[in-house]
Amino acid sequence: MLKFIAKRLLSGAITIWFIATATFFAMHAVPGDPLTQEKAMSPAVRAQLEARYGLDKPLIEQYQLFLGNMLQGDFGISFTQENRKVNDIISKHFPISAILGLAAVLIALVGGVAAGTVAAYYRNRWPDRLVMIGVIAAISVPGFVIAGLAQLIIVAMNNAAGKTLLPVAGWGSVNHIWVPALVLGLGTMAYLSRIMRASMLEVLNADFNTAAKAKGVHGLRLFWHHQLRNAVLPVVTELGPTIAGVTTGGFVVELIFAIPGLGRYFVQAVQQLDYTVIMGTTVFYGAFLVLVVVLVDISYGLIDPRIRLHGGGGR
Amino acid sequence: MKLLELDNLQVSIGPVQAVRDVSLSLAPGECRALVGESGCGKSVTAMSLLNLMPPTAQTNAARWDFAGRDMRQLSEREWRRIRGNEIAMIFQNPMTALDPTQTIGSQIAEPLRIHKGLSKREARMRAIALLERLAIANPAQRAAQYPFEFSGGMLQRAMIAMAVVCEPQLLIADEPTTALDVTVQAEVLSILRELRESSGTAMLFITHDLGVVAEIADSVSVMYAGQTVETGSLQDVFSREAHPYTQALKRAVPNMENPHRLEAIAGTPPDLRHPPKGCGFAARCCERMAICDQLPPNFPCESTAAHQARCWLWHPEHPARWRESEQ
Repeated sequence: MLKFIAKRLLSGAITIWFIATATFFAMHAVPGDPLTQEKAMSPAVRAQLEARYGLDKPLIEQYQLFLGNMLQGDFGISFTQENRKVNDIISKHFPISAILGLAAVLIALVGGVAAGTVAAYYRNRWPDRLVMIGVIAAISVPGFVIAGLAQLIIVAMNNAAGKTLLPVAGWGSVNHIWVPALVLGLGTMAYLSRIMRASMLEVLNADFNTAAKAKGVHGLRLFWHHQLRNAVLPVVTELGPTIAGVTTGGFVVELIFAIPGLGRYFVQAVQQLDYTVIMGTTVFYGAFLVLVVVLVDISYGLIDPRIRLHGGGGR
Repeated sequence: MKLLELDNLQVSIGPVQAVRDVSLSLAPGECRALVGESGCGKSVTAMSLLNLMPPTAQTNAARWDFAGRDMRQLSEREWRRIRGNEIAMIFQNPMTALDPTQTIGSQIAEPLRIHKGLSKREARMRAIALLERLAIANPAQRAAQYPFEFSGGMLQRAMIAMAVVCEPQLLIADEPTTALDVTVQAEVLSILRELRESSGTAMLFITHDLGVVAEIADSVSVMYAGQTVETGSLQDVFSREAHPYTQALKRAVPNMENPHRLEAIAGTPPDLRHPPKGCGFAARCCERMAICDQLPPNFPCESTAAHQARCWLWHPEHPARWRESEQ
């Protein structure tokens, strides 16, 4: 098992190096630089700034410097936000994105598994149809539309109640989390419920399901002990990329609900060509994704004994 | 007193009349073989006996008594107390019938937990003891393993343990040896025989292998196209076979002592979406008469009280009846 984890972490490190290198050169290939702004800058000031940020050096040298600093965990200072270290930006804003993302994934997981199970149990009857219509809607309607709709609904609810049941936007309390997390997780929930439906149908037709019933197993015990554990495997497989995707890809939702998460800074940095922030957030997201995928692989083994015991040899 | 009395069971799944008329009876401790080719309704009969057919299937019976109860009246709640407790089932393929995510021990212990209310520990001990009785080495260690760590023969023994752990009155074995290779087959058969002798469990042994029938059964019911066509003791059905289908089946079995060219039964079984008006076997029967195509032989057609054949040849006015009784 340890060998397996070490192997995965090593290949993860190579992945991160690749991401970093590709991003570094792609970023520098974009016309302009962080110092190009609307205001014209005198050549003297510009030269001084370039020297301060090391932009006057040849690209290869800049790359070497960047790699060296990255290995020490230092991504430098933001170009656009005066005197803010990239590490500080990440450590201050990523936890917010992470909480929002994890809440979204949790909602998506529970909701998706439940909806998929109901759809499979009532295959081709109205609960199944209802779930499948919801799935198509949730996948095809873009997130910003759903976000706007959700805000409208909150406003209407608050008006009807005559008091603030749920805040429309902002961050700071538990109540601020629910609606944006639901909006953020909705697409994933739809996707997961489709996977869950298919795999639960397979389990319902499996011999071991019939055999369990023939033993007198029924109801919740049948569901927990025999059906869920077998049916949830494909869902868990999808979970790794999903967690990373939802945690890092929430900037639209963060923007609409005025949540100070990292996603917003990431997009801003790309727009303003804020080299250090781009590199810092990209490498950080890459590392996060690799870590989550490894964690999911490990949890896979906890659910399916066949993988647990073969895990030592690697796959 | 009979343990199971089943009369005219009919099961249809959508347009398919999978079981058209199955009548069975089992005395306590009796082992009855249910024989027939693939698709004749054996497995549907087995699943129906546990009331485990999907809700789309329609089940009817003129009589269906088990241990003094009318099974047609039972609620799903009452059925749950019967499954795995009073009637248990051994499935054909142990590789797929055991849950891959649960340990062998917990799967064997599960019926005890559900039906007998045993604690986790007690149920586990009983499961281990049973594995030991079924000649599995290191039973405690084995009980903690998962199905994929077992060989086919050991899996079938685990499957048998799972079925008999509550000491059911009736054990339905649905082709328990078909998925196994021949050496393992013999081993599983001897385990089943031994269990039957020691516990007195009645057994409905479903198979298409006549060799296996001869080894384990007291009595035999032959099925064809959703109907029981011949019923009798092992000797009746094997050496005084009365139905032309049974006779044809026997001609298709190789015999070492008296080698003869094997005869396949010409033709195919009828389409059970549109079963024939008369006898189901008529189209393939070498003794077919005019009446066979027109009317089903639905009369008590017995050569002796315990030996019955659903065939016009055994009608009281048919001369063949005399032929048989004079012998």
